[in-house]
Amino acid sequence: MSKSEFDRRDFLKVMGVSGVAATVAGCDMPSYITSEEGAEEVIPYLSPEEYVIPGVGVWYASTCLQCPAGCGIRGRVREGRVLKLEGNPTMSLNSGKLCQMGQSALQSHYNPDRLTTPLMRKDGALAEATWEDALALMEEKTGPSSGISGHRFAWYTGSVSGHQNVLLKAHLEAMGSSNHFVHEVINTRVWQAVCKEMLGQSMPTLRIDKAGLVLSFGADFLGTWMSPIQFSAQYAAFRSGDERGMLIQAEPSMSLTGANADLWVAVRPGTEGIMALGLANVLIHKERMDASVLPPETQELIARYNVSITSRITGIAGDRLIRIARHLKNRSPSLVLAGGPAAGHTTGFEAVQAAMMLNILLGNVGETIEANADFAFPQLAALGGGTTDLNRFAHAAGSGQLDALFFDGSNPLFGAPDHMNLNEKFDAIPFKVAFSTFMDETTARADVVLPIASAIEDWGTHVAAYQNEQHEIAFQQPLMEPIHPLTRSFGDLLLALNAMRSPGTYDEIDDYYGYLQSALGAIPGVLKGEDAAEDDPLDIQLWNQILQDGRLEVPAETSLFTTSVSIKDITSPPTDEAFPYYLVPTPRSSLYDGRHANLPWLQEAPDQISKVVWTSWAEIHPVTASKLGLEEGDLIRITSASGVLEVPVYIFKGIHTDVVCVPMGQGHTEYGRYAKGRGVNPLKILDPGEDTRTGELALYGTRVGLAAAGRAGRMVKMGNTESQHGRKIVATITAEQQRRNEGES
Amino acid sequence: MSLVRNFIEDWSRYRRSINEGGFHEYEHMWGMVIDLDKCTGCNACSVACYAENNLAVVGEEKFESGQGMHWLRVERYWDEPNIGNERVRDTQEHGGSFMPMMCQQCNSATCEPVCPVAAAYHTPDGLNAQIYNRCVGSRYCANNCPYRLRYFNFYSYYEDSWPSPLDMQLNPDITVRDKGVMEKCTFCVQRIRSAKNTAKMENREVADGDFQTACQQTCPTTAIVFGDLLDHDSEVHKLWHKFQTKLGTTKQKKDNPELRGYRLYEQLNTEPSVTYLERVRDV
Repeated sequence: MSKSEFDRRDFLKVMGVSGVAATVAGCDMPSYITSEEGAEEVIPYLSPEEYVIPGVGVWYASTCLQCPAGCGIRGRVREGRVLKLEGNPTMSLNSGKLCQMGQSALQSHYNPDRLTTPLMRKDGALAEATWEDALALMEEKTGPSSGISGHRFAWYTGSVSGHQNVLLKAHLEAMGSSNHFVHEVINTRVWQAVCKEMLGQSMPTLRIDKAGLVLSFGADFLGTWMSPIQFSAQYAAFRSGDERGMLIQAEPSMSLTGANADLWVAVRPGTEGIMALGLANVLIHKERMDASVLPPETQELIARYNVSITSRITGIAGDRLIRIARHLKNRSPSLVLAGGPAAGHTTGFEAVQAAMMLNILLGNVGETIEANADFAFPQLAALGGGTTDLNRFAHAAGSGQLDALFFDGSNPLFGAPDHMNLNEKFDAIPFKVAFSTFMDETTARADVVLPIASAIEDWGTHVAAYQNEQHEIAFQQPLMEPIHPLTRSFGDLLLALNAMRSPGTYDEIDDYYGYLQSALGAIPGVLKGEDAAEDDPLDIQLWNQILQDGRLEVPAETSLFTTSVSIKDITSPPTDEAFPYYLVPTPRSSLYDGRHANLPWLQEAPDQISKVVWTSWAEIHPVTASKLGLEEGDLIRITSASGVLEVPVYIFKGIHTDVVCVPMGQGHTEYGRYAKGRGVNPLKILDPGEDTRTGELALYGTRVGLAAAGRAGRMVKMGNTESQHGRKIVATITAEQQRRNEGES
Repeated sequence: MSLVRNFIEDWSRYRRSINEGGFHEYEHMWGMVIDLDKCTGCNACSVACYAENNLAVVGEEKFESGQGMHWLRVERYWDEPNIGNERVRDTQEHGGSFMPMMCQQCNSATCEPVCPVAAAYHTPDGLNAQIYNRCVGSRYCANNCPYRLRYFNFYSYYEDSWPSPLDMQLNPDITVRDKGVMEKCTFCVQRIRSAKNTAKMENREVADGDFQTACQQTCPTTAIVFGDLLDHDSEVHKLWHKFQTKLGTTKQKKDNPELRGYRLYEQLNTEPSVTYLERVRDV
């Protein structure tokens, strides 16, 4: 690898000029022009810093790191400050659109509770320290002379990809360890495992836009599932085609996607797979669909779930099952998705398998589920996290297998259920280093805390786990200078750590920026010609173009599906007299898994379903509420075998009568002024249990008892009414009327 | 005295009733179409608005008192009344009804004539504008708005809402409103101004798509369409035309009464500039 020809300052100069020139059409005009007179005040175009022109906003492309979906963003920079984020229109994944979490990345960057200096634990408490001392201690504990090696060292991160992952791997390799725990509470690992087994590839392209009907078992694809912004665009096309697509959502409690369904079905938790088998039964035995694509054992299994048995187990009326099956048959091609609550049981894998079997039976594979390609550069591909790793980590930490732990971008102590006793296990690790932007629950227990740059101040490359047919590497570039002078780039630190363990290897690299440039230069055809020699200079024009676009297209050679169906029977959860209800700790596209609880915009953004702000609540059905004698806002006591929560109730009919739903995200004991001490964390009272095939935690498998706590809680909600009271506010027409007027003919 | 005369003349000119054709000397008529069948209720528009327009975060207590400053709020209603022949059942089987609600930029706005200091006025762009430094905080306008879309600064939020360095995010193109001032959605007037200035410098008219409002820009399903209703080539004009919604009426007369497209509470003679397209459900 060669030393980069351009240092960062020069680069910014070039970017400033080319960036302004290229984006001038889209940028803001100085606000001091008074258009009434058509006169301009004379203000010299002072350039106090390169690329800054007073009053002119310039848009720079980067990548959103608010969730693992990896959307492209562009930030409006004026007078050296980034003011507004928008989706990057050149990025095919999100084509210019952004969700509320993405919009709020600014508040993560400008947050008043950012970590600003390194901290080291002295006499039991974290105290301010210098970088030199902190790095010296890390060298002492994990450097070549520390004696630490092998699996006694571990990295713990959130989902990672791109060159960050390459450097993490290099560091682990240098340490002689393969312990990389990748933790993500909200993930699609079960879906991916099923796709891998039944279709031969884990991330096929989904074409909601091509489907006549989407049946989703709990997959909240408009909110938190896989790539919500990509799917939202597809959903818009699905709804506005010549023949408007129909959405059916089956889940225990209503998600954002469920709230947009034509038909929302409350299904008993853990029986989604049986519902899928029952639908297959109707399709084969009542609708006479050809079942020859399914192996005989599968057909036999399906034959066992006739309408009355399925109806008894799932709690869904028989005529409704028949109606859904008819729709599935008549509105081909359809698309069956499964995730979230359907995948979050000990039989999650089997449930998702049953859903995928429906796709095969209905002939959707190849139509609305298209084959995709493996990412051309496997070392850059997404390493998607899961909860399996949380479990593995708890085991490793609990059995004293770890001497040193570095962690970044993840908060396991917030996400871990109490039954794991992770706090004590974590404390037992002798040396823990946090690479953090905030004092979260895990960072607060570290021995060394390193304040890292925000996502808006740093360089990086990212590869989304879900890619369209068009594969792309997303580029992250600083949208402004660091706010806090003592924070450092995570990439730079990774390089420093690697240099510490492998002296000499990274001598010629100045910083992470230089590393990225030379690493991309090493890929033939990206920054140099196909036949270029290794020491040929980079084409700086190309490099600038990539940064301006915020993305780099990568060739994708589609591999074919290899379909195989071999599904197993699903045992539905037994009745439990002590804990008759089911707990659904649902994620929402807002506070997400809790990582956005410190962003005031999202705390004050009313929840999409309940419209509650700033706190936690429990959703229950009116039937359940009257049984327990509860009214809206009253405290409910939720007791599982592993713990108790008290939280105010929100009562509505978008939930199964045997279910209580508590959205995750609140209940922080650290994490700054906006998050700390608000609401409850439903993940804490989860029971042990995991999906038997993938090892993912059975997040939706916890049984609970409910009781009125006997007093009112505090729950602030937007709006005072749940009903339109007969007024024409949100008017609704039937699809038939719409077809008559806006259909093709 | 000429001021008073001008005022009276302009006033009577402006206050022509809808039956007389209303006030028509507009340079632009900014309007919107929001497709409620595409809207998923995700709330991205609302947060984009917070980011663009320096909206204060008021905190739980003040929010409880109804003092949230969400210029664009996404209302959510549960199914009721019945759809078609279907009766409401014991589950919410057709999902929710979401509605992004922002100032409807009424052309016969109920908020304007009640302002004792004419801080609420109508621009030649068809916008219902609020002059912050003229506002004395009588709150008559908010009281008169049938949509409840005006937001009053009961407090000075600067310190609490933007503790340093959050204040660095503030958009310098617009102000931070202080205690005693009424505020509301402006259809991102700073973006309109900037686009008009650019067009002027390039010696041309503002073209459709030159700029987007913050909510429209971010909408993941492109449910929001914004533009100039006077520009017959604009997307928004075409949609108004397609769905046969018109300005200048209190009741839309459509060739086909089933055609989607309505203005909220237009029977109140407020002349809103936003057309909503009905939500659709397959039953």
